[in-house]
Amino acid sequence: MVQIVIRGSVDGCSPPQWLLVELQGEMVSRHNSGLAGNVMGDLLYTKEGVPVLIVGHHILYGKLVKLEKPFAIPMETDHQGLTSTSYTVSALIKQKLIFKTRPKPIITNVPKKV
Amino acid sequence: LASLQRSFNNCKNKEVQATLQIAKLNEEDLNPTIHCLSFGENVSSADYCLMELDDTLCKHIEAGQSLVIRGDKDERAVLCSCDKTYDLRIANTSNLLLFVPGCKTPDQLPITQDRACVVHAEIWGFCNSYWEPRKQRPKLKKLKKLLMENPYAGVPLAGQEESKENRYTMQDLLERIQASEEEIKNHLVTIHACQIDGCWCGLDFDYEMKLLSHVTQLVDSESWSFNKVPLQTSLEELAPLEPREMIEHCLNCYGRRYTDKGEVFYALHEDKVCRGLALMLLQNAVKFNLKEFQEVWQQSVPEGMSTRLEQLKGVVLVDRASSPETISLLKVEDLPEDTLERFNLLFTLREKWTEEDITTYIQDLCGEKQTTGALLTKFARSSLQNGIKVFNSRRPVAT
Repeated sequence: MVQIVIRGSVDGCSPPQWLLVELQGEMVSRHNSGLAGNVMGDLLYTKEGVPVLIVGHHILYGKLVKLEKPFAIPMETDHQGLTSTSYTVSALIKQKLIFKTRPKPIITNVPKKV
Repeated sequence: LASLQRSFNNCKNKEVQATLQIAKLNEEDLNPTIHCLSFGENVSSADYCLMELDDTLCKHIEAGQSLVIRGDKDERAVLCSCDKTYDLRIANTSNLLLFVPGCKTPDQLPITQDRACVVHAEIWGFCNSYWEPRKQRPKLKKLKKLLMENPYAGVPLAGQEESKENRYTMQDLLERIQASEEEIKNHLVTIHACQIDGCWCGLDFDYEMKLLSHVTQLVDSESWSFNKVPLQTSLEELAPLEPREMIEHCLNCYGRRYTDKGEVFYALHEDKVCRGLALMLLQNAVKFNLKEFQEVWQQSVPEGMSTRLEQLKGVVLVDRASSPETISLLKVEDLPEDTLERFNLLFTLREKWTEEDITTYIQDLCGEKQTTGALLTKFARSSLQNGIKVFNSRRPVAT
């Protein structure tokens, strides 16, 4: 039987907290060159704390939500050649920014009324 | 480097300001910090990376404790904390989940700032599935099976060596049983397992009954109260018959240890002793006449103890429909762990069950927040027989 250990932390401290961004749909790079290294978009917050995401030609409004059940991100521990597999929780996610509303296109040229 | 950073930020600022203008967002309404999100150079789909945690598991992790995933090739993997077992499933979402390490929430940002400030945050990974642990009853049937491969059955006869094979240390058990350490330890106590030379093994049933008989007969012959059985005297009296450790083990299984004025006593547990002796009587018969059984049973227990059929819930089946009424052995711990297999077997043994009778034999199947009622609705069909609700199989079963 396999036993895989997932350690809470290496140094006994609580893992760092990351943020989750949840989007509807898929993300495809503009020139189909893959996502790595590419800019995704800009995230802003209104003074009321509403997150706003600008991705390409779209603007999305979202919400900051506390997760009912947090997520852990276990990553393989660097164990210098030892045979047993082990993981360490590298981060915890307790909140997410969820963008559920339909993205609004940003129109650059609005024809003037004649 | 700092000036380069600043000029980069300025460029970014101009870009962002232009975007804001086009997007018709008013700078005054916004927090001055802007996160510029990009995909890291090594970003890739992080499937199988996210694990959902319930409150208990999260606290475990934050306290620096570990979790263990256990599973054989042909078993579904489980996740174990030190004292709980969880089934591991993958949940899918149609949404895209991005994990961003350097991203702040509004409450973490300063609101008083003159200029826009750009923060570069890299997306570490993305996925649309995650591990979802669900609390479940641990699979402990295998534990008894392993420990009964080579149970202890008393001192071997002269000339014979006791086989030490198929006996397991706690480490061995953790590598074979899909359960948490604490659940395994508790089950070892429940099944009366004993530890010999650091290895765990089961107790042969006939031998266990022999030990119990020695103890109960001694209690009667010495006219002790079954609530005050002296350890020392018991060991001295019974040592010629059985090893001391085994006598003490028997007392631990069937009684509660306490000290009175520096001396160690045991208060025998009435229900456990009565149940043990009933099992001994029923072991070798297929069915027993209920009335006869009850008489013999009462006579076999120590003075002062009372036998009651309720003590045998989950280990016997009483047939009140037959004439004369009968009783037979049916131990819930011997039944299949799989829910469907369990129901099939129960309906093979008896076509129609009352709710009370069948509940006893399906109670342990209930997962968290599951009721026996829900199981019955799913796996059985109910009908009325002589005004009493009975359950039978949903499918034809050979009896």
